[in-house]
Amino acid sequence: MNQYRQFCLLRISAPITAVFWPRIQWRQRAKVWAKLCASASAIAFFSILLLLWAMLPLTAAAQLKNPPQAGESIQPYLDRVIQKVTEFRLENGLKFIVLERHQAPVVSFLTYADVGGANEPDGKTGVAHFLEHLAFKGTTQIGTRNWQAEKPLLERLDVLDKQIRAAKALGKSTEAAKLQTEFQQVEAAAAKYQKQNELGQIVEQAGGVGINANTSTDATRYFYSFPSNKLELWMSLESERFLDPVFREFYKEREVILEERRLRTDNSPIGQMVEAFVDKAFTTHPYKRPVIGYNQDIRNLTREDVQLFFDTHYIPSKLTIAIVGDVNPNQVKELAKTYFGRYAAKPTPPELNIVEPPQQKPQEVTLKLASQPWYLEGYHRPGINHPDQATYEIMGRLLSEGRTSRLYKSLVEQQQLALTAQGFSGFPGDKYPNLMLFYALTAPGHSTEELAAALGKEITKLKSEPVSAQELERVKTQARAELLRSLNSNMGMAQSLLEYEVKTGSWRNLFKQLDAIASVTPADIQRVALATFQTPNRTVGRILTKE
Amino acid sequence: MSIFRRNQVNSSLERPKFKVKISPKNPWFWLLTLTFVVLTSWLPAMAGTARHYTDLTFPTLPAIKLPDYERYQLKNGMILYLMPDKELPLVSGSAIIRTGDRWEPDPKVGLADLVGTVMRTGGTKQHSPDELNQLLEQKAASVETGIGKTSGSISFSALSEDLPEVFSLFTEVLREPVFDQAKLDLAKKQTSGQIARRNDDPNDIAGREFEKLIYGDRSPYARTIEYSTLVNISRQDLLDFYQQYYHPNNMIVGIVGDFDSTKIRQLIEDKLGDWQPNPDLQLPPLPPVEQVKQGGIFFVDRPDLSQSSIHIGHLGGQLNSPDYAALSTMNGLMNGFGGRLFNQVRSRQGLAYSVYGYWSPEFDYPGTFIAAGQSRSDATVPFITAVLGEIKRLRSEPITAAELAYAKESVLNSFVFNFQKPGQTLSRLMRYEYYGYPSDFIFQYQAAVAATTVADVQRVAQKYLQPEKLVTLVVGNGKTIQPPLSSLGSEVTAIDVTIPSPS
Repeated sequence: MNQYRQFCLLRISAPITAVFWPRIQWRQRAKVWAKLCASASAIAFFSILLLLWAMLPLTAAAQLKNPPQAGESIQPYLDRVIQKVTEFRLENGLKFIVLERHQAPVVSFLTYADVGGANEPDGKTGVAHFLEHLAFKGTTQIGTRNWQAEKPLLERLDVLDKQIRAAKALGKSTEAAKLQTEFQQVEAAAAKYQKQNELGQIVEQAGGVGINANTSTDATRYFYSFPSNKLELWMSLESERFLDPVFREFYKEREVILEERRLRTDNSPIGQMVEAFVDKAFTTHPYKRPVIGYNQDIRNLTREDVQLFFDTHYIPSKLTIAIVGDVNPNQVKELAKTYFGRYAAKPTPPELNIVEPPQQKPQEVTLKLASQPWYLEGYHRPGINHPDQATYEIMGRLLSEGRTSRLYKSLVEQQQLALTAQGFSGFPGDKYPNLMLFYALTAPGHSTEELAAALGKEITKLKSEPVSAQELERVKTQARAELLRSLNSNMGMAQSLLEYEVKTGSWRNLFKQLDAIASVTPADIQRVALATFQTPNRTVGRILTKE
Repeated sequence: MSIFRRNQVNSSLERPKFKVKISPKNPWFWLLTLTFVVLTSWLPAMAGTARHYTDLTFPTLPAIKLPDYERYQLKNGMILYLMPDKELPLVSGSAIIRTGDRWEPDPKVGLADLVGTVMRTGGTKQHSPDELNQLLEQKAASVETGIGKTSGSISFSALSEDLPEVFSLFTEVLREPVFDQAKLDLAKKQTSGQIARRNDDPNDIAGREFEKLIYGDRSPYARTIEYSTLVNISRQDLLDFYQQYYHPNNMIVGIVGDFDSTKIRQLIEDKLGDWQPNPDLQLPPLPPVEQVKQGGIFFVDRPDLSQSSIHIGHLGGQLNSPDYAALSTMNGLMNGFGGRLFNQVRSRQGLAYSVYGYWSPEFDYPGTFIAAGQSRSDATVPFITAVLGEIKRLRSEPITAAELAYAKESVLNSFVFNFQKPGQTLSRLMRYEYYGYPSDFIFQYQAAVAATTVADVQRVAQKYLQPEKLVTLVVGNGKTIQPPLSSLGSEVTAIDVTIPSPS
């Protein structure tokens, strides 16, 4: 618990999820610091995993002078995992990655849709996340008592919704109210046919755990774990879920999502800041927009919008599935053909080709809120497939990882200006060019100006002085060990295999990136720091206390 | 790679047997391995028919396997658990120390937390804080300490090849922390910063103030660190607190991972065997608990908010209650995707993104019953009404057979997830021993859930949920909460959460 308090990984770009499960055990601890971290990232579990996997692993083949390399024994274990991975692609384009782990009779499943907030049309922000919520609403067979009777009611609701909007736009309030009454009656009639959350209920009753989903700028992920005797149940439920979805309860779910927006953004100081910060740092690229969607966009979305987005992006060639655990890969392949082979191949939608132009001058945004001060500073950097990816990751670790990290030692421990201070890449996403983001919380009696100056010194040091061999070796060893420690989590492995598969073209890069990281030199770090940390490339965000 | 060094144990076994090793050297190992493969291998007959879930049948899951472990005691009274896990070249360990911040003196609230922090950050007699950090992090290892409400903890994690050195540092931190004054000053400053920030998130306010309403604002189970208590804490206080509790005969140590059993026993003996016990060890009694506010509506006004954070609840019970399984089944049917709160308050009425209601017991003192969530200002009263309605319905109507099946089967069919990794079993065994629970408590729970009936759930709902004792706390914007909280029919008491200034 202490580790959390000291080094909480504040993932303010964390993806948002379909369900918020309270972690009531945290309540018992009532530690302000843990909550500080948790409240800002809200869904720390998944975001920490993501962060771990954004930090690339490395190999023993380092070119350092002091042999023997720490943690040399790790490589055989990594090799063994690689040998346990099988992959196949169905004829319709849907790709599967299977990792066998027979330590316990359980399996984790992750369906990864290569579409996120960045792919939304202007004016339709939030549709990717809305779809994620509606993907829990069932099918023509699941979630309904009588689909034939329910269907016309859902269609009637859409018509009424359109008419209500039109009436309101024309100022016909009496007509709008009348339509609203009918809307409520039809909605109540539809509800009589609906079995709420039946999909999730089937999963949980069959012994499924951790069912949830999340949406980020880059991707939408659906996941849970089953005891291993329920493999075919997952095949049936998950294939049907995207073969034959019904986006029922659309209008009530809109209220739920607006509550989610109030929770994460409107009533959270750091939530408000993150939205303002990306809006300032990006001028053109959709990373500028909030994944949950602008309030008005969410309100204007229709079931038709969601269906269109689904038809465009949830096509076999844009879906990748990882299955990790106690399975027989041959059985997985046969069942996958049977169940997911039912999907029809479809043309791939065009790639997002909006390019953020280079930032020409420094930007800043200050919010005065009912909160103690925060300081944020971001710099544009290239996307995950750039050759300097490994160097950025090493820089993040040098600055942020552990009690020996530079920002902790300098800002927290020695100068005592900050309660916490960290920097990491991949904000708000990493598929496209993104930001390396630094953030710090003021210690009592200190200002964001002091934080800015102290952070500036550390950044200058990266540019002007080569990193010591010892420091570099430490972060490389830590990254290796971190990969090793993650190997015993089925869902963690499913997640990382897919991140690499979808974003870099092969799951093998999860392991190949070892070499890239091992070969990062002090000169690389200086070169990349010099290129990145330039004043015109900087965006500053400040939360100041409202008087 | 397959590691089946585990006991085959029936799920309802009384107590796990020690030292029944099934290893590759033991012929049973191969037999079990083969059996396992046969059971899980799939016959690719009749491929090609996709079936709706209702048409599927499933093979039986193999019986739960408890990992092999040893439990023994050093001469100085320290209890040890050793649990081999050869999957990865890693070793980790932890100790539970019988202490807790519920035992710190009221004028010095925050003392235990500072002990838990500075024990690690302040260095040891042999290594300065910087040296300790450097030695550990250079090896991607860690040693961490902390003190919570009901226990203290210290843990380590290391690559197997670094075990001797890291374990040595672990024992140094455990036995010889120096509580460096400068690091204490830093920790106090950090704590001050946390106090200053405690009202920044409305849900933090709600969680904290709710516990104060239930247990009392000075109760060891709800009180908060204040500037005025922090200033009373000296380095000597830390040393004294450490001296009072950190003795070998007052802790349980567990180690899991890829180690050689003989070598590690020797290492433990070398590093901890000469630590002298305290024969006069005396632990304070547990603080008494009673609910202080018997019902009522409480309100924290935050004019910037558009959404209220709502907590409703009363004092609860302990895990060792004979009714825990039935209460847990009740939790199951209130929560999750098939849960009443999720279905009714969220999906059907659209009143919240997060809503839950749990009977939330503790091991050795009464926990709470708590229902909570967030809802927009103008839906605050409907949210409260809806949640109260569900609580009352639990008492007034029997649940359906389908609901009972959902709640029970969710627990029973996912039971295997409690045994995914040996480390899970290890920490459970340590926790049970620490709190004086039987080591097969989880299997007793499993059996009791399986036996729970519709009548049981209604009986415990009527016995343990007490609508007249429910305290309702809202953190929200008084101007926009319409209809107002007063429309709920009780007097509304304002709570001032202004942070008392440092004097």
